[in-house]
Amino acid sequence: MRILLVEDDPDLSRQLKLALGDAGYAVDHAPDGEEAQFLGETEPYDAVILDLGLPKVDGVSVLERWRRGNVATPVLILTARGAWSDKVAGFDAGADDYLAKPFHTEELLARLRALLRRSAGHAAPSLSCGALRLDPRAARASVNGEPLRLTSLEYRLLHYMMMHQGRVIGRTELVEHLYDQDFDRDSNTIEVFIGRLRKKLGADRIETVRGLGYRLIPLEGETAG
Amino acid sequence: MLDFRKRSLVRRLVLLAAIWTLFVLLAAGAFLTAQFRDAAIRRFDQSLAVLTDDLYAGSTVEDGVVKAPFLTDIRATRAYSGRYWAIFAQKSGGGLSAIERSRSLFDSDLMLSTAQIDRLTADPGKTLYFDMRGPQDKPLRAAAILTRLPGHPAPVVFIAAEDRSPIDDDADRFGRITAFALLLLGVGLIVAIVFQVRFGLQPIFRLRREIAGVRSGKAERLVGPYPEELEPLAGELNGLLAHNQEVVERQRTHVGNLAHALKTPLSVMLTEASQQGGALAEVVERQAQTMREQVDHHLRRARAAARSQTSGERTPVEPILDELAVTLERIFQDKNDGRGVEIDWRCPEDLCFQGERQDFMELAGNVMENAGKWSKARIRAEAKADGEGRMLLTVDDDGPGIPAEQRAQALKRGQRMDEHTPGTGLGLSIVDELARAYGGSVTLDDSPLGGLRVVLSLPRAEG
Repeated sequence: MRILLVEDDPDLSRQLKLALGDAGYAVDHAPDGEEAQFLGETEPYDAVILDLGLPKVDGVSVLERWRRGNVATPVLILTARGAWSDKVAGFDAGADDYLAKPFHTEELLARLRALLRRSAGHAAPSLSCGALRLDPRAARASVNGEPLRLTSLEYRLLHYMMMHQGRVIGRTELVEHLYDQDFDRDSNTIEVFIGRLRKKLGADRIETVRGLGYRLIPLEGETAG
Repeated sequence: MLDFRKRSLVRRLVLLAAIWTLFVLLAAGAFLTAQFRDAAIRRFDQSLAVLTDDLYAGSTVEDGVVKAPFLTDIRATRAYSGRYWAIFAQKSGGGLSAIERSRSLFDSDLMLSTAQIDRLTADPGKTLYFDMRGPQDKPLRAAAILTRLPGHPAPVVFIAAEDRSPIDDDADRFGRITAFALLLLGVGLIVAIVFQVRFGLQPIFRLRREIAGVRSGKAERLVGPYPEELEPLAGELNGLLAHNQEVVERQRTHVGNLAHALKTPLSVMLTEASQQGGALAEVVERQAQTMREQVDHHLRRARAAARSQTSGERTPVEPILDELAVTLERIFQDKNDGRGVEIDWRCPEDLCFQGERQDFMELAGNVMENAGKWSKARIRAEAKADGEGRMLLTVDDDGPGIPAEQRAQALKRGQRMDEHTPGTGLGLSIVDELARAYGGSVTLDDSPLGGLRVVLSLPRAEG
């Protein structure tokens, strides 16, 4: 397993390289944002450990450039800034996990293992509806390659609709597949989730069929999957 | 004694204007009435002078005796008609002895005082005017002249007098009418002034409302437009607001930078200690842990302190819950044997927290993270308005919950209720501290999902 470690503090870099090496990973080290970006784009790493506070180019920018350049390597970000607004910004930029400093090396190694395990099974998207794609194994969805940020309930609803695209699905059927238990089956639950999906996918991808339910359709000019 | 500096501007302006108006109107009224009275008396005196002249011109002396002319004025013949005349001869001692008088005088006389006689003696040949008392004690106006008639040894005094009560009545009536008219004018002026002041000070009231709006978070700055006298003030206030914001921001950044700069060295120390082992390493690890908690604590304090100074702003709740839900599901995706945590959240789209986005994210993020750490499968979060200016954020989990008697402890700083789950264990105390800084509260309860329910009461920005 080949790991890219991006960290500017020499002591922390040395310790982490040592710990990662002991754990059996091959480690490349980049001390600044520019080098990190270059290495990330050119070398096939299995995972990246990325510090956000970097000289030259900051970590979030590096991550955003990778994601825009279709570098899909799983990224674990390290940062001294543990506020929620910083965490959310990190995940928004395309991070796969997050660890706030100071941390124990064991925790970093555990997170890294989990990250690698999750990414191992990734395959090409297997469901599509026009520009909308959904990868059931990674539980990810995207439109035109742009990843969608969905909660698990939203994802579950979209998944069900993708599997039955083109067909009108009634509210009761949807709510039954949304919740495995009996709670929250109030009448407007589905409206709430359809509203949120429309906001994230684009309003026209989900059609309301009056009195019957909803239907997932490709946009005009797109082909159904 | 009322402090004049504290009196209302409106009252101060109206009061000053009213006092001045009252003074001017009183002076004008007194002046007008006096003028009217003077003019009336002058006219009256002229007609009396004509009568005296007639008496003087028409009198003749026959054998040393003065003969009064025959006067046609009918009023001089009726008793107490109000018009009188008399002719006196001055005795050698200065006193007067009557020679003739009008029939209207009937049984009384026109009596001149000694002082009046002296004035006549001092100024012979000139008509002088006096006030005197006549028959039935009526006030009279009199014209008199002391002169010599050829063939008469002693000086002769001719007096014509008339009841002056009609002109006094006229003057009084004029005075009353004037006073009434001026009173009306005064009231009219004061009403006009009140309106003028209220209308004129409108921009000041508007300024006050806008400032209140900034304080309550409905606006970030004063918009105006204001009259040129107030525009600089509004500009200065906006400058002050911006400066305040900037100072708070700078302070926050400062403390943040310091705290964050300490975290990498702490990481190094922790890692080094864990790799070395031994007694020294143990001490270093424990101390580093304390330092980390201290850094976190003071970082929060700085934020909370900065909080109380900033002007409120509006933060829409819905997008934040969405972002947090997505992020937290990612963070917890390996939990519960890889099934992760399902976050079901509800929020009206128009709900706004009154305060900063970062702070709401910190509040909601920590509560939801705490729920996520404990939950077996799902979290439910619901935000909704709660009456005037308040909102509630309720977060439920299906974890083990906290027994009622330990709940108060869970909110205290340094109480590590969740020692067995990764994280700082300070999540809920952070929330409690931050919520208090916003005048809010945190309550813990049993959740219908089986675990803990955390309810945050927070200020809501009105739409």
